Amino acid sequence: MSESLFQSFIFPGLLYVLVWTVGLFWFFRKFMAALHKRVGPSFNGKGGSYQTLFDLSKLLTKESITPDGVNPYLFSIMPLLAVIFAMLPSAFIPWMDGMVVVDSNYGLLALVVLIGIEPFLLFLTGFGSNNKYSFLGGVRILTQAISMETSFLLAALSPALLFSTMNLTAIVEQSSWFSFLVLIPGFIIYFIALLGLLEQPPFNIPDAEQEIVYGFYTEYSGTNYFLLQLAMFAEFMAVFAGAVTLFLGAYKGIFFDSYFFFFMKMMGIAIVMMTMRAATPRITLSQMLNFSWKYMVPIALVNIAWVLLAKSLWFMGA
Amino acid sequence: MDYVKKLISEFDCEYVEKYKKTWTKAKLNSKDDLLDVAKALKKEGLRSLSTVSPTDFVDAGIMEMNYFFEDLDTKRNLWLKVNLPREIEKCEIESLSIEFPSALWHEREAYSMFGVNFLNHPDLRDIIKSEDFHGVYPFRKDFDWLAHEKNVVQNMQTIVDSFKKEQEENEVDLDPDSSETILNWGPTHPASGPIRLRVHCDGEDVISVDPDIGYVWRALEHLVTQKDFIGSIVAVERLCFMDNINSMTGYAMAVEEIAGVEITPFASWMRVLLGETARISSHFMGLGMFFNNMGLHTLAMWNMDTREFFLDFLESYSGARIATAAIEPGGVRYGLDMAMFDELQKALDKFDSTVGEVEAVFVNNPTMKLRADKVGVLSADEVHKFGLSGIVARGSGVKTDIRIDEPYAAYGELDIEYITQEGGSAKDRFMMLFRDLKQSVDIIKKAKAHIEKAVASGEMNPTKDHMVKVPKKLPKGEAVSRVEWARGEVLMHLVTEEKAKTPYRLKLRAPSFNHTMMLNHLLAGQTLSDIPLIFGSLYICQGDLDR
Repeated sequence: MSESLFQSFIFPGLLYVLVWTVGLFWFFRKFMAALHKRVGPSFNGKGGSYQTLFDLSKLLTKESITPDGVNPYLFSIMPLLAVIFAMLPSAFIPWMDGMVVVDSNYGLLALVVLIGIEPFLLFLTGFGSNNKYSFLGGVRILTQAISMETSFLLAALSPALLFSTMNLTAIVEQSSWFSFLVLIPGFIIYFIALLGLLEQPPFNIPDAEQEIVYGFYTEYSGTNYFLLQLAMFAEFMAVFAGAVTLFLGAYKGIFFDSYFFFFMKMMGIAIVMMTMRAATPRITLSQMLNFSWKYMVPIALVNIAWVLLAKSLWFMGA
Repeated sequence: MDYVKKLISEFDCEYVEKYKKTWTKAKLNSKDDLLDVAKALKKEGLRSLSTVSPTDFVDAGIMEMNYFFEDLDTKRNLWLKVNLPREIEKCEIESLSIEFPSALWHEREAYSMFGVNFLNHPDLRDIIKSEDFHGVYPFRKDFDWLAHEKNVVQNMQTIVDSFKKEQEENEVDLDPDSSETILNWGPTHPASGPIRLRVHCDGEDVISVDPDIGYVWRALEHLVTQKDFIGSIVAVERLCFMDNINSMTGYAMAVEEIAGVEITPFASWMRVLLGETARISSHFMGLGMFFNNMGLHTLAMWNMDTREFFLDFLESYSGARIATAAIEPGGVRYGLDMAMFDELQKALDKFDSTVGEVEAVFVNNPTMKLRADKVGVLSADEVHKFGLSGIVARGSGVKTDIRIDEPYAAYGELDIEYITQEGGSAKDRFMMLFRDLKQSVDIIKKAKAHIEKAVASGEMNPTKDHMVKVPKKLPKGEAVSRVEWARGEVLMHLVTEEKAKTPYRLKLRAPSFNHTMMLNHLLAGQTLSDIPLIFGSLYICQGDLDR
């Protein structure tokens, strides 16, 4: 009982997600500032580290406005659901050796499904906002999710095929330097699809502020906006952790195995993502569709063939 | 040149004379000849109509129309005048919008501000002025501004009511079962600035765009008539804050022409130096905006970093970073302390050390090329027809640059070449901005070296030569001056009365007005994603759009 309470509220549950959100938010700001030749937050706390806490508490205590004409249930429940669904994958991730909340034989499937539901919830927020821009944003997010999730799923399947298991713990245990090399193409596809799923440049099409005024975010403010932001950062964690578990050997380190390595691998992905964010403009919806169906999906299929070939050559004995 | 003179002489004219190097000035006796003249001019090659500027002479009962025709290729220009009666019922003239599409908006402006009725104009609606001015003509000399301002609450109510009415009615004509809708893109949109585009779209596809402008209308052309000749510079420089020096230069040139004053070589070189500094500060913003509109803010931040150094120089010279008020009739406002050049040198060094990384990351950015290479294409023919100028015209391969066509200040002594791009797409306009920026830095380096040399040899005295006296009262006269502003050609038409202490009429022809006219043409058939990109590539500033 006390163990499951600890797991749901502290690690890897609510508190962990909150700390991660605050920490990553602050790191995003500081890192982006350096790339922009700016300073970033610097007044409150060391290196502006309290700034994010203040911002989040400000958002939480602001008046939550529900505009006239919106569907109040969709409008207010969806942000909450979005947070919950974004936090759930963390239960299936083997954060440390032997530390996994739900050790399921279908862990990979759960991860992919939970990550895949998220865009649909955000579509419903846009649908419920009764705003033309939000609706356009909702349609865009659905379009993008359908195109990107195909290659995301195909890429996520490649370690499962290689190790003949969907159990995430088993995948981590069987991973090695050699399997990492075999899975590099899959990892690259996973990473690009991840940019699309998280609406990061160059695929920040659904919440393009210059085109459709932040899309589904347009009508949100106060607590609901805070929840949507929290959901986004929790989703970052879920997708990064998925990548680290599937392709980068999770907690496995150089001399010893520890959560430290898990964290550093996640930050590595975050840094690459942010650097792309600082140097790549947004592409259009049609270019994204072209790219996804003409290149990503076929290459992801070829990758599956490559993984099967590698398995029959080098991994049959295992 | 002589061909234009010969051509115009065939019509019934009060006078035909040569004006400046590239202009012919003529006055028609009858307004009925205008359309025929326009057709003949178009055949001759003067395909651009720069602007239409009425001047209201109350005492004589005349509305004097001024048409400025230009040929961007051969640089032959015609300033054509014709008198109209000023009574509102009889104040009408044939529209030139079929022969010269750039007249579409310029005639709308003349109609809104002066009540000149243009016959056969396809779309003669009010433009720029807000709804409380509908039915009255604010730039007519007998319009009572004070009485109008007294009803400020009523006026605001009129604006609110008409906006609400429009929002109720704007989708009435659309099929309720289709996915067509009207989007209000602005005036408080993250990428719009104070302008509103009524975007009629079907899902992601744009069907048509109708720009609604005037959200920052300050009636600058009226404001200058309330100030003396020196005080007017603060109105003129607010054409757009990004490049304020060059607009003041244009105004000062017009005043000097009427006063018959020649400025010193030092002042003219300073005008080049300060003008290019302002152009650089504007281009830095323009480059950043272009990428901002594609969701990437890094270039804007990097450019701000370098731009600060150029603003430091403006600050050390004039005390202000943005609204410098540094150029006035008679020269430049302040003497130069040669130590100020150290600030400028710092800025130039900063530019040289950072331009490489901007080029590597942004100018050669493959994703930018993917987005911008094939959209927003303007042909050279359209540039002529719509009277486009500046980087937009040069991006389509039209060789036009007032600094070379009609050299002013000290540009005649500099060796400048036309910079052009061939494609005419959004990417070409971005490349134009970047190459223009590099050219401006070269010009600054040359001007700085020239001034330093002349000061060292005692040819110029930087603390005494900056200003020539301009009389406070000017004689009756009128002048046209043109400058290459950061966004393109600014044409100023200044009219003064006998013993004038204030301008009687100042027409500011600003490039963004023509460029905004192109939005519907460029955006129809594109997608929503292209709106901010094309909008940003036209390098529009709402300040000079509304004036």
